[in-house]
Amino acid sequence: MTLRRHRSAALLAAAALSPILACKFEPRTPELHYSLNAKAIASNPDLAGDPGAQAQLEGALEMLVGTPRNPRFLTLPEWLADGFDPNFWGEDHVKADEAAWKALVESNQKAFHQQLAAIRDGRFEALVRPRFADDLWERWQSLRAEMPAGGPDAEFLTTDDGQKVSWREEALYRFENYYPSLASSAALYHNQCFHCHGAEGGGDGSTSRFLEPRPRDYRPGKFKFTALKGKARPRHEDVFRILAEGVYTTAMPSFRRFTDSQLHGLVDYVRMLSIRGETEILLASFYDPAEGLHFDNVRENYVDVVGRWRGAPEQLITLVGPIPQPTPERVAHGRALFTTPGEKGGANCVSCHGTSGRGDGPSVWEPGKVGIEYTKDDWGNPIQPRDFTRGVFRFGRRPIDLYRRIYAGINGTPMPEHIGMTITENGAQRAMTEDDIWDLVFFVRELSSQSPLVASAGGAERQEGH
Amino acid sequence: MKHFLLRALFTLLFLAVPVLGVWTFVKAEDWGLWFPPIASSYGGSIDFLFFVILWMVTITFIATEVLLVWFIFRYSKKDPTRATYTHGNHTLEMVWTAIPALLLIFVAFSQMKAWTTVKINFPSDGPYTVQKPLMEVYASQFDWRVRYPDAQGNFMGADVIEVPYDITVPADTKVVFRLKSRDVLHSFFVPVFRLKQDAVPGMEIPVWFEATKPGDYDLICAELCGWGHYKMAGKIHVLPPDEFQRWLAQKRAALYATD
Repeated sequence: MTLRRHRSAALLAAAALSPILACKFEPRTPELHYSLNAKAIASNPDLAGDPGAQAQLEGALEMLVGTPRNPRFLTLPEWLADGFDPNFWGEDHVKADEAAWKALVESNQKAFHQQLAAIRDGRFEALVRPRFADDLWERWQSLRAEMPAGGPDAEFLTTDDGQKVSWREEALYRFENYYPSLASSAALYHNQCFHCHGAEGGGDGSTSRFLEPRPRDYRPGKFKFTALKGKARPRHEDVFRILAEGVYTTAMPSFRRFTDSQLHGLVDYVRMLSIRGETEILLASFYDPAEGLHFDNVRENYVDVVGRWRGAPEQLITLVGPIPQPTPERVAHGRALFTTPGEKGGANCVSCHGTSGRGDGPSVWEPGKVGIEYTKDDWGNPIQPRDFTRGVFRFGRRPIDLYRRIYAGINGTPMPEHIGMTITENGAQRAMTEDDIWDLVFFVRELSSQSPLVASAGGAERQEGH
Repeated sequence: MKHFLLRALFTLLFLAVPVLGVWTFVKAEDWGLWFPPIASSYGGSIDFLFFVILWMVTITFIATEVLLVWFIFRYSKKDPTRATYTHGNHTLEMVWTAIPALLLIFVAFSQMKAWTTVKINFPSDGPYTVQKPLMEVYASQFDWRVRYPDAQGNFMGADVIEVPYDITVPADTKVVFRLKSRDVLHSFFVPVFRLKQDAVPGMEIPVWFEATKPGDYDLICAELCGWGHYKMAGKIHVLPPDEFQRWLAQKRAALYATD
C-alpha cells in the first residue's frame, strides 16, 4: 500500500515536471517573420508550386519593410534627396500640422505627467516605465547615462539657432515631444490590434472569425473610410480618426485610452503593413518564372505603392465656404434624386437603400431564392446597405462626412462615386453637381431623424412586409 | 514537551489568520488598496452601508476566530478519549438564530434610503430628468459611446453629438442619463461616484448622479461582456457647469466644420 502510494506520487510529480523539463528555455523567440499572403500566392500557379520563389518573395519583402520585431522601410536615395523618409512619415506629417502637433504634445504631457513631475523634481529613480513606449524608455536611459557632471541643470546641448538647452530641459522635451518608432508601434499593434487584424494586417487574427463585419484586410490597400476622391489610399488623418473614434456598430472600438502619439504611431504601422501587403500582391501577380524576382522589379512596385500613399492628401474633397442650409425644396429635390431609379434618370439610391431608406432595396437580394442572398464587398464578406432610419453612420455623421461619402462612394463596396454621375432631369441629361449631392445629404439626414422636413417633402414611403 | 510545542504551533497558525486578515484591512489605505475618494453626492451613503456591514463582519469574525483559537489550545488532548454526545442546547440555538436574523433585518432596513435615492427617486427638480435626460450612454462590445441630443432635445435628430470613450458632464448638477446596450450585458461602473448599473440589451435604464468635484475619472465595464472586456474603459470628464455649456456649444458648432 505504501509502495503504491509512493509510486503514484512519483508519477504525479513526473507528470507535473515533464512539460517544464521538456521545453527548452530560450530567452526570446529568435526572430519573427511576416507570413506570405496565401490568397495572392495561390492566384499565381507559377509561384504556388515553387517554394524557392516564395522564399525569394519573402526575402524581398523583408528587405523592404523588415520584420515584425524590427520593422523599417527601405529608404530610396531619390526619396532622401526629396526630403522624404518613410520611416518618419507620420512624424514629419504631424509636425507639419501645427494644431495636430500641439494636440500630440498636450496628450503626451497628460500621459507622462508622472514622469515629467519626477524629472522636474529631480526624482529620477522614481520614474516609472511607460507602457508601450520602449523606445522612449531606452532614450531616457541613455540620456541619464549622459547626464553632465554639473548636474541636471548644466548645459547639455546647443540648438541650431544658438539656444543653450540644459539636460533637464532636454529630458522634459523628449517626453513631451515623444513620437513612437515603428518598432514601438509594432509592439503596441501586437498587443492591441493583432488578435483581430493579424500579424500581416490580413484581417485574419484569432478573434476575427467571431466578428461581423470582419476586420479590415489592409493588404489589398483598400480602405473604406476615407475623405478622398477616386478611391485613393486614406490620408494619415483618416486612419487616425478611425483609431480614435472607432467604427460604431462594428467590433472596432475607440482607442482613445492611448495617447495621440501612440495612435499616430499605429497609423504609421498600419500604413506600413498595407504597403507591404500591396507590394506583395503586385509582385505575386506579376511573377514570371522565366524572369524571377529582380531588384528593379521589386523596387518599381514598391515605389509605385508608396507613391499611391504619398499622393493621398491631394485627393481630399474640400468645400469652399460654409455648409449650405437645407430648405424644404432642397430636401424634396434630394428625395426625388434618391427615389428615382437609374433607368429613369435618377441617382438610383433606391435600388440598394430601398424606398424607405432602410437598406432593403431590390438589388440587395435576388428574388426567387430561399432566404436572402446579400451582396458582397471586395473582401468577399456579405454587406448590407446602410439603414438610414437608424441614424448610424460609420465614418462620421457630420454633413461634410456624408457629403464625402456620396461624392466619392465607398471603396470596395457597390456604393458608387456620385459626382459627375449622369442623371436625367426635366427631360435633359446632365452630370450630377455638388449641389445635387448636398440635396441628397439633406434628404439622408432628414431620413435619419424623421424630422418635419421629410414630411413636408412628401415623406419616405414605407414598404410593407419588411 | 513535544506535544506542547505542536499545540502552540497550531494555535499560532490559526491565530495568524485573524491577525493577518485584520491587519490587511488596517493597512489597506496605506497600500493604495482602499476606495478612491468620493466624487458624487450619494457616494457617502453607499460607503456608510459598506462600513456598517464591514463592522458587523469584523466583530463576528474576530469573536469566532478567538473562540476557535481558544478551543484549539484548550481542548487538544494528548490521548484520544471518548467523545461525549449532546443533543444541543435549545436556548443557545435560539440565540444564534435570532441575532443574525435581527442583524439581517437591520441591514435590510438601513439600506432602503440609499437604494431609493440612487435607483428609484430620480431627480425631478434639476435641468435633467428621466423624461429629459442629459445624454444617452451606449455600451457595446467593446466601447462606451455617449450621445447628446440636438439643441431641441431630440436624441434621434440629425444634429446629435456622438462621442466615444469620453463622457463629459457638468459638476454640481443632477445628471440623469439613459443607459443602453447594443449587444450583451455590460455594467456602467464609476468607482469615484460609487455608481454601478448594468446595461441590459433592449432596455433603457435611467441612471443619475451628481458629481461634486471637477476632474477626469475612470469608467469601466463591471460585467464580463466578452473577450474584449478588459478593453472596455472610458473617461468621465466633470467640468464646471458654465465650462460644460461652452464645451457643448463648441461640439455643436464642430458638427458643421468642413475640415
